[in-house]
Amino acid sequence: MTKTPVEDFAALIRRAGLPVQPVDIRQIYEAWALVEPMLDRIRSPGRDRAAEPAHIFRADIHASRPGETETF
Amino acid sequence: METPTIAQAAALIAARAISPVELVGHCLSRIEALDGALHSFVTVTPERALEDARAAERRMMTSTLRGKLDGIPIAHKDIYCTRGIATTAHSRLLQGAMPDEDAHTAMLLAQAGTSMLGKLATHEFALGGPSFDLPWPPARNPWNIDHFTSGSSSGPAAAIAAGLALGATGSDTGGSIREPAALCGIAGLKPTYGLCSRRGILPLAFSLDHPGPMAWTIEDCALLLQAMAAHDPEDHTSIERPAPDFSAALGRGVKGLRIGVVSRWHDTDCPVSPGVQKGFDRALAIWRDQGAEIVDITMPSLFDYQAVCVIIMIGEAYALHEPWMRSRLYDYGELLRDRILIGGLLSSSDYLQALRRRRELCVLTAKAAADVDVIATPAAPREAARIDSISKWGFLASPGFAKPFNVTGWPAACVCSGFGEGGLPVSVQIAAKPFQEALMLQVASAFEAATDFRSLRPC
Repeated sequence: MTKTPVEDFAALIRRAGLPVQPVDIRQIYEAWALVEPMLDRIRSPGRDRAAEPAHIFRADIHASRPGETETF
Repeated sequence: METPTIAQAAALIAARAISPVELVGHCLSRIEALDGALHSFVTVTPERALEDARAAERRMMTSTLRGKLDGIPIAHKDIYCTRGIATTAHSRLLQGAMPDEDAHTAMLLAQAGTSMLGKLATHEFALGGPSFDLPWPPARNPWNIDHFTSGSSSGPAAAIAAGLALGATGSDTGGSIREPAALCGIAGLKPTYGLCSRRGILPLAFSLDHPGPMAWTIEDCALLLQAMAAHDPEDHTSIERPAPDFSAALGRGVKGLRIGVVSRWHDTDCPVSPGVQKGFDRALAIWRDQGAEIVDITMPSLFDYQAVCVIIMIGEAYALHEPWMRSRLYDYGELLRDRILIGGLLSSSDYLQALRRRRELCVLTAKAAADVDVIATPAAPREAARIDSISKWGFLASPGFAKPFNVTGWPAACVCSGFGEGGLPVSVQIAAKPFQEALMLQVASAFEAATDFRSLRPC
């Protein structure tokens, strides 16, 4: 059982710009019930405000080096 | 002729007791005979394999072999780009796509003299499988073709187990090398994040993807890893440090080592089948008999690692696939489409909270393992299920044992620990601290060498 009403879930899909057929929305909605506990789990109420993500921007990695190429 | 291991074939080639051309011919014959039922190959490249083998044979005859991989027939998971050979990701969206460069690791393996047999089945874009609505069928488990290989490196695991190739490349984002290796009874190794370049491998999730080797034995994985592990300045996550001799400690045993066991993981978080438990107990008993100390340690819940791994994986995968998800949604297979689509419903805060939790888990894992050399766990919770029983959302329901080492980037390998229900393989996982692959291989090989499971092939 998800905490998100199915109408709100359908709105999330529309907001993402995904052309999901209505018949498919229901079964994806059922899987959301397995995702919501994961989202609860990654939020630690007591987490230090300054606790940073595992990978954070580092300028030295982007400093140009001879012969280095970059693809975007 | 039985399919030899890489180490056995290398010795035979060095002694001119077998020709690389003969070896490729053996593999091509087995592909012809068996792959109609196994579906482990998406593309077979006999001309390329024979051309590579003839070049290796010339080196053999002139005593200029490049090393133990020279003349060894291998194949690549079909997300590894291969110049001039279709690289499809097992997807309709890339059917016929022809890269103009090799993946960095594929290039290194070619330079080592391997003979390339072709491209191997994968779950679509390394996440959607087993799927029956794609241009190619899913790979089947050689121990029982009605059963699942697991994935996403499904083709490599099936091909090696059946002796169609001696080694293969795989990739592991949440267990995609180790789980199929476990269910197909072969050895699989996910190295430390950054040890092998990701360049030229179609990504699933940038920060969790690990390229790595798969083979019949742990020793063979060490030989393949030796060629694959090299700094690549064009992959920003590639680590610049010299690769050690990964085979150096094989055969040294485990006397004096401390092996950590997280009982809570297999007792509570992810209960295992009787066959898996028996195989795990067998491994612990052998290591204990050889002089290792088995130490119970406390780690965060498997569900914590799973939550972080899944949210990051589907978030990064959706970002990668977003243009096609919006414009060609129904060209994907159903499983991949629906699994990745969920990533489009996450918020930026969801993704960042997962990254913040990932950092905490890395710290907690390192602290918990401070006093042990390696960690041992079951590799998969149970034997391979029937392929027609796999749920689309199973990857969300069961945490498995692989994800802690994708989240932390620690190396982990699995080795066959026996046979369970229905005669299907079971497996044990050994993980080590970053860049301790040689120690991890030492522990894995100590167990493998003490058993006779490598003498049994499914076909």
